[in-house]
Amino acid sequence: MAVEALRLDGVTRRFGAVTALHGASLVVAPGEFVTLLGPSGCGKTTLLNLVAGFQTPDEGEIFLGGESVTRVPVWKRDIGMVFQSYALFPHMNVAENVAYGLRARGMPKVEAMGRVAEALRMVRLSGLEDRRPRQLSGGQQQRAALARALVIRPRILLLDEPFSALDRALRGGLQVEVREIQRAAGVATLFVTHDQHEALAMSDRIAVMSGGRIHQVGTPEEVYARPADRFVAGFVGDATVLRGRLRGLMGGTAGIEVGQAVLEADAAPLRGLSQGAPVDAFLRPETLSPGGPALLSGEVRSVVFQGGHVDVHLACAEAAGGRAVARLAPMLASGLAAGSVLELAGPSRCAAFPAEEPA
Amino acid sequence: MSWWLRLLVLLLLAFIAMPALVACIVAFDARSILNFPPQAWSMRWFERAMTYPDFRDGAWNSLLVMISASVIATLLGAGAALALEKLEFRGKRTLEALVMAPLVVPHFVVGLGFLTLFAQSGLPRGLPLLVLCHVVLVLPFVVRSVWISLKSLDGRLEDAALSLGAPPSRVLRQVTLPLLLPGLAGGWLFAAILSFTEFSASLFVSTQRTQTLPVAMYNYVREYADPSIAALSAIWIVTTMLLILAADRWLGLSRVLGTEVPGGR
Amino acid sequence: MAGEKSTALGQGAPGLLRGLALPAWLCGLAFAAALLAVFQYALRAHVPGELEPGGFTLQNFVAQAHPLYIGVFWDTLLLCAGTAILSLLAGYPLAWAILRTRSRLARSMILAIVITPLFLGEIVRTYGWIVVLGNSGFLNAALAWLGLGRAEMLFTTGGVLAALVHVTLPIVVIMLAAGLAHIEPELERAAQSLGATPARGFFTVTLPLSLPGILAAGTTAFAWTFSAFATPQLVGGGKVNMISNLVYQLGFASFNFPFAAALAVSGLALTAVSLAALSLVTRRVEQRL
Repeated sequence: MAVEALRLDGVTRRFGAVTALHGASLVVAPGEFVTLLGPSGCGKTTLLNLVAGFQTPDEGEIFLGGESVTRVPVWKRDIGMVFQSYALFPHMNVAENVAYGLRARGMPKVEAMGRVAEALRMVRLSGLEDRRPRQLSGGQQQRAALARALVIRPRILLLDEPFSALDRALRGGLQVEVREIQRAAGVATLFVTHDQHEALAMSDRIAVMSGGRIHQVGTPEEVYARPADRFVAGFVGDATVLRGRLRGLMGGTAGIEVGQAVLEADAAPLRGLSQGAPVDAFLRPETLSPGGPALLSGEVRSVVFQGGHVDVHLACAEAAGGRAVARLAPMLASGLAAGSVLELAGPSRCAAFPAEEPA
Repeated sequence: MSWWLRLLVLLLLAFIAMPALVACIVAFDARSILNFPPQAWSMRWFERAMTYPDFRDGAWNSLLVMISASVIATLLGAGAALALEKLEFRGKRTLEALVMAPLVVPHFVVGLGFLTLFAQSGLPRGLPLLVLCHVVLVLPFVVRSVWISLKSLDGRLEDAALSLGAPPSRVLRQVTLPLLLPGLAGGWLFAAILSFTEFSASLFVSTQRTQTLPVAMYNYVREYADPSIAALSAIWIVTTMLLILAADRWLGLSRVLGTEVPGGR
Repeated sequence: MAGEKSTALGQGAPGLLRGLALPAWLCGLAFAAALLAVFQYALRAHVPGELEPGGFTLQNFVAQAHPLYIGVFWDTLLLCAGTAILSLLAGYPLAWAILRTRSRLARSMILAIVITPLFLGEIVRTYGWIVVLGNSGFLNAALAWLGLGRAEMLFTTGGVLAALVHVTLPIVVIMLAAGLAHIEPELERAAQSLGATPARGFFTVTLPLSLPGILAAGTTAFAWTFSAFATPQLVGGGKVNMISNLVYQLGFASFNFPFAAALAVSGLALTAVSLAALSLVTRRVEQRL
């Protein structure tokens, strides 16, 4: 097996005057689950379509299993794709749907049916072979589409927002299930979503995209805790943004002065700034806690009970947008009511980026 | 799209456009028999087409019948569609069948039917007969157009007006009808075009005195072989294309065709 | 905006709405009376030299069992079926092009060219075909220019067929396009992602799914062609006859209106049976989808 399931080298795609993808490079290892995360119009769907072969790049190369497929048509690429609408063929039953790719490859019917049974067992749809797609629930349709894509043993599995058509309540369980099936099949996977929770929950690595560029590629923990730039910090997870000053750089660590406090931050995004330059510190809500020394304080606007935790929204003049969010354990939040004033202590480490406009 | 599919589509489009184009070219031929391609050019067939008495009378009759039939059919069709959509009543299926049936009955049968009906009842075969026949033939198209509009109309708007204290007749006038206007316009336009171009039934129910333009053209083609009809066709084609462009501009082509649900934006 | 149905208006003013439907009732009854007149005439004896028919008889139907009339019925059915099939074959690529052409301009151009003939009426369109197919018409001029000899098409079945296909093509294209528009483009993409060539994807996915639209368009083409009169009359020139032409000749040349009416009734029955058979097939197909 090749070292890389998928490799993109400087892939660019233009639509007329609009560049949908700027020189994207990405590697997916065998068996790895990589997510393309970004808002709509960020280029993630274009990238997926380029890998599938529905579009051809204007520049750059695409490799599957080490072999260039840049000019290879869709039907010769050996990909498995699950579409947003699942795109199950309505005039075929589940077994015929799943067998479609095998039959297109000229596999005899008997042999194909064996593989189909195996695939349906894997997605726990055995016994539903004769059902038409419209007789299946949303979750069953999704698993049938997954079986259809996996049964051909594709070089890469492409998932195009497969959970967006489902009820929120169903998604969590299905995410776990899809990930288990993918792991069992051992197939490299490229997953497209605009939902950060899905991305964080499912991925081995996440590629965060916007404006046709890949901003950062990293594990969910990296992307969340050490965002590479402002966009990633703002898009993945909630944050309270405080204005501070750069105190100095020491190796990989920067010192940031915010009010009376000094916080540590990753130095990379701040290189080139002079001492005292304005910076923005991004504070995750769960890193803020009641007590001193107070990093920020404000009047409680609302207390939102979320089950396992409580989100406290504060009106806070120092924070960007005049608002701050803290995520507290329910015990710590008891007794808080709108109108009361709350002081919050900060973390020792946060993410910081050059200030957007001079202070 | 692959090149052979493009070529096929182009050939098919040529097949569709060819008769009209060829007729337009022949219209300018100076000779008095059909012979392609024309050797010398002239406008004389246009002059003859515009002055030939049968064509002038036929055009006048067609215009009269078209205007009366399309207006009457639009009014009747709107009433029928409203009742069919908004009301449960005995004989509803019968009314629907009666109104829509001319869609599937060949025009020559409808023409023969009205001819024999009027002959037996001793009624005169005048323009009213033509108008009645045309109303019957175009009514299904109007009913369908208005019905589609009604189905796509948000009934809660009417409920809202009723809840605000407006009596039903007022709601119909001030809420339903204004919202139906695109469907009514589309239905009327379709009825007018169908009436003006209708031939088979008209041939049966018209007389020498009441013949419509298509009937006059048909009789001319059977008697003479000169390009007058080509000239008339050319005028007809250009007028139609201008009308279609205008309709597309003001109403939207897909809306006129009823392939799009009106009032949906 | 989905139509949210309201019946409150109807419940509030049933009399008003009933009144509005009254003129349509009258119109529908006039149509029914006209059809009844045809049925009634069909059962009356023809009195030569008289326009007023004689007593009741079945003779008009018995007389149709003549090879001449059976031949015309058979030719009519063949022309209807042939026109329907050829219109579908020609209409499918056009409908496809209207839906899948990316350029908006090209798409509107195709649509405009396809539907313009719909507004020209039978006479103008048929006349165009006379000019195209005539002995010294466009076709023969073009063939001579290409050095391909001559084609005698006017007054032949082939010529009538071409003109009939031309008449039904616009409505067939519109109906096929409406049917194709309901098929999700993602299904074709899915087929290709699973390794099917575009051709295989078309034949295994798109074509089967468009079958209801094909049947609906084919049924309409069949019915329209049955109704055609001017086209077979002028392009066929009396050598190619359909039932409509026979009805007209019997009425206006022989003044035998009872026999004309009987032929019309048989024709109606024939279409009714054909359309019923087609709708049965359509329902079968729709059940399987």
